[in-house]
Amino acid sequence: MNEKGGQGEQAISGGEAPAAPFLEVRALSKRYGSIKALDNVSLRVQSGEVHGLVGANGAGKSTLVRILAGAASPDSGSILVDGSVVSINDPLQATALGFGVIHQELNLVPRLSALENLTLGLKKPTRAGVFIDWRSAERQVATVAKRLDMRFSLRARADSLSVADQWLVAIGRSLLRRTRLLAMDEPTASLSDDECLRLFDLVRELATSGVAVLYVTHRLHEVVDLCDVATVLRDGRLVRSVPRSELSQSLLVREIIGRTAEPSVQVREPSVDATPQGVGQEGAVILEVRHLVRKPAVQDVSFSLHAGEVLGLAGLVGAGRTEVVRLVFGADRLQAGDIILNGQRLGPLTPHRAVSKGIALVPEERRSQGLVLAQSLTFNVNLASLERLRLGPRVPLISNRRGRERAAEQVRHLGIKSPGVATAVGQLSGGNQQKVVLGRWLACDAQVLLLDEPTRGVDVGARAEMYLIIKGLASEGRGVLMITSELDEFAQCCDRVLVMAEGRIVGELMGPEITEERILGLCYGAGKLQ
Amino acid sequence: MSTTTVDVDSETQEPVGESRGSRNGGRSVLRFVGKYGTIIVLLGMCIGFSAGNPSAFVTWRNVSNILTEASLTAVVAGGLTFPLLVGEFDMSVGFSASLSCVLVAGLMSQQHLPIGAAILLVILLGAVVGLVNGLIVTKVGVNALVGTLGTGTVLVGIDYAYSGGLPVSVPSGSQFGQIFDGSVWGIPNPIVIMVVILAILWLVLNRTALGQATQATGGNVVAARLSGIRVDRVKIIAFTIAGICAAMTGILLASQLQAGELGSGDGYLLDSFAACFLGAAVLRDGQFHIVGTLVGVLTVGVGFTGLVIFGAPTAYQYLFEGLLLVLAVGLSSTARRFAR
Repeated sequence: MNEKGGQGEQAISGGEAPAAPFLEVRALSKRYGSIKALDNVSLRVQSGEVHGLVGANGAGKSTLVRILAGAASPDSGSILVDGSVVSINDPLQATALGFGVIHQELNLVPRLSALENLTLGLKKPTRAGVFIDWRSAERQVATVAKRLDMRFSLRARADSLSVADQWLVAIGRSLLRRTRLLAMDEPTASLSDDECLRLFDLVRELATSGVAVLYVTHRLHEVVDLCDVATVLRDGRLVRSVPRSELSQSLLVREIIGRTAEPSVQVREPSVDATPQGVGQEGAVILEVRHLVRKPAVQDVSFSLHAGEVLGLAGLVGAGRTEVVRLVFGADRLQAGDIILNGQRLGPLTPHRAVSKGIALVPEERRSQGLVLAQSLTFNVNLASLERLRLGPRVPLISNRRGRERAAEQVRHLGIKSPGVATAVGQLSGGNQQKVVLGRWLACDAQVLLLDEPTRGVDVGARAEMYLIIKGLASEGRGVLMITSELDEFAQCCDRVLVMAEGRIVGELMGPEITEERILGLCYGAGKLQ
Repeated sequence: MSTTTVDVDSETQEPVGESRGSRNGGRSVLRFVGKYGTIIVLLGMCIGFSAGNPSAFVTWRNVSNILTEASLTAVVAGGLTFPLLVGEFDMSVGFSASLSCVLVAGLMSQQHLPIGAAILLVILLGAVVGLVNGLIVTKVGVNALVGTLGTGTVLVGIDYAYSGGLPVSVPSGSQFGQIFDGSVWGIPNPIVIMVVILAILWLVLNRTALGQATQATGGNVVAARLSGIRVDRVKIIAFTIAGICAAMTGILLASQLQAGELGSGDGYLLDSFAACFLGAAVLRDGQFHIVGTLVGVLTVGVGFTGLVIFGAPTAYQYLFEGLLLVLAVGLSSTARRFAR
């Protein structure tokens, strides 16, 4: 390829590598509000090395990658390239340093051709100084295309390519920019087994040619297969860098969790009809879900939810949790499966039908999915039960006074702190906004509450209150299904926890079994380890 | 924000805005301009024109003339407020008004329908046009700007086919002209009709479940859908309301002209858009609403009349409308941006 010259100079091919690694990160720290996303992390990545980066949700992997990509700036610490300190203030500087990031979503422009995507932002050969000479552009990328074994027309639109081929385009784009460090975020999440193998070959080849690869994944067996060294992060701190000779899945699980994964946990295979033992206080099955499928995120999910129960749904990012609750609420269309409410099988669901059946969703993104921010508290609370504001069964007009009273009732019930019910919800704090969304569903007597990250963006003080509210809602006879990425919340709130991985439910924990270690162990497939 | 007291009777929109404003005088001025900019322009024009020519401007006749002229625009613009509120454009309203104008005259003179039947049929047709617009936008997924421009052009074609391009006169001796020319207790009918229709639209928007759903869809379509609101349905109804209002304006126009003329209502497209956008800059932060739309219609109407009274050439009327729209909306949004 044209750029080979640039890579030939790299340390690895010389054999007499200087002491300084290609990338060194020293004492990097980054806070988001009260949360330490990165806490004094130091790391070295050599050229030609495949460096695994693992850790549970919120361990700091993404933050590190974002800082290297110039999308976030650290609060303290330094970044060294080839031994000298650099500053990365924006993505352009990151590119100039030879850093490339390929996110799971790939960031291709779907409507442009593979060729156009490959050369996006690069100076292209022109005719008469104006018109892009696509033919010579194609010749320019030919070497990269050949090296990556692109077996498709470069003139094909990016969105017409398979996901694996799109990955090739994304990698090719990085190579054309003389990338020396390529960070890949969950590269195999949407690839088939064959495609994965192809990608691994490619990653190895890239490393051989001197590119450093930062491989971020939840799939530990890939780390063991592929990486020369793996760095484990936990709660923003670097736990340990494990060299290839010591790499094993069980060791990584241990380091990620921080304790032994307790493989002795007897993991119940969650079965549809099994009534959980030892949960005597709970009522009848209120919601039953059988073999839900919406590929690729949801492969096959079955569970049942009891009245009076808070059921947790745990899993790593990308496990398919949000997708499951969206299916149950009818926000996305099912490809297969049944949803049974109070023994009655529900037909094709839409949010409107779900609401009318008493199913409610508190969505993941409160501000963009949950609230009409410019409107009042009253407006937002009554949004799902507008028909109840009518002055009479045959009168189309609604009573504003009743609306305000119904809002005030939820303000009292949930302890919402607001200057008044006419206040725009955009002016409330995160915790109070979340209560408004909850109040909307209580105002229409929802029986099944699907809570997706109910404490996200809620400050720590208000969280404890939220837990009490959630438990209270269940004790009044509702069924509550709760997703959270804060593992300690499962133990605080839930009677039972289902653990999801790769679109399936992989385990079930109950009562005292619900510990952070066991949940994480199941997430990483520790249940299957001996 | 530390009190839990619940102020059930308060109707004020933004109780917190005041305290924020007092902290910073400059900001509160900007907020004020942002909210009341269009109204200030309207009042300024009224005062200015009155001072310049008191004998001509502040007469009951003049006020009633301005309102009568404004009434046709107000009815289209009131309807158009709904699609705009849910985030869609309806470019067909002007053409729809033109076709309605020709049809209502034609149905009476050529098909010999009684007045009431002709009016009902045309309003029904307006509703169908709106319904089709709504279906095209929501179910077929065509961009509203393009889709409604398409249906609007089809309406022009139908108009030509029906009338042959010639004006269709209202049957002589018909009471039809009284719709526009008559009055109730000395108030011209068009003003009464405008007030009644805008009042109904205001009630629909602010005092019905449908209206709340419409506002939610406009405010945050994702949140509205996830609250169980059928946003497609809300949008289709919004287009239908716009269609009905456009047809009613066409009927009023035919009554005014005593004839159905091809293209006679096309100009209402621009006028109503201007009114709605001017109105959105009033009182509420960039949200379309009925009272705002009325203020917008009056602003344009007063400006026009003023220019005519002062004998400005036609060219200035267009300059005025265009500049007013850009300036008023621009000023409001800039003021609001700085007030944040």
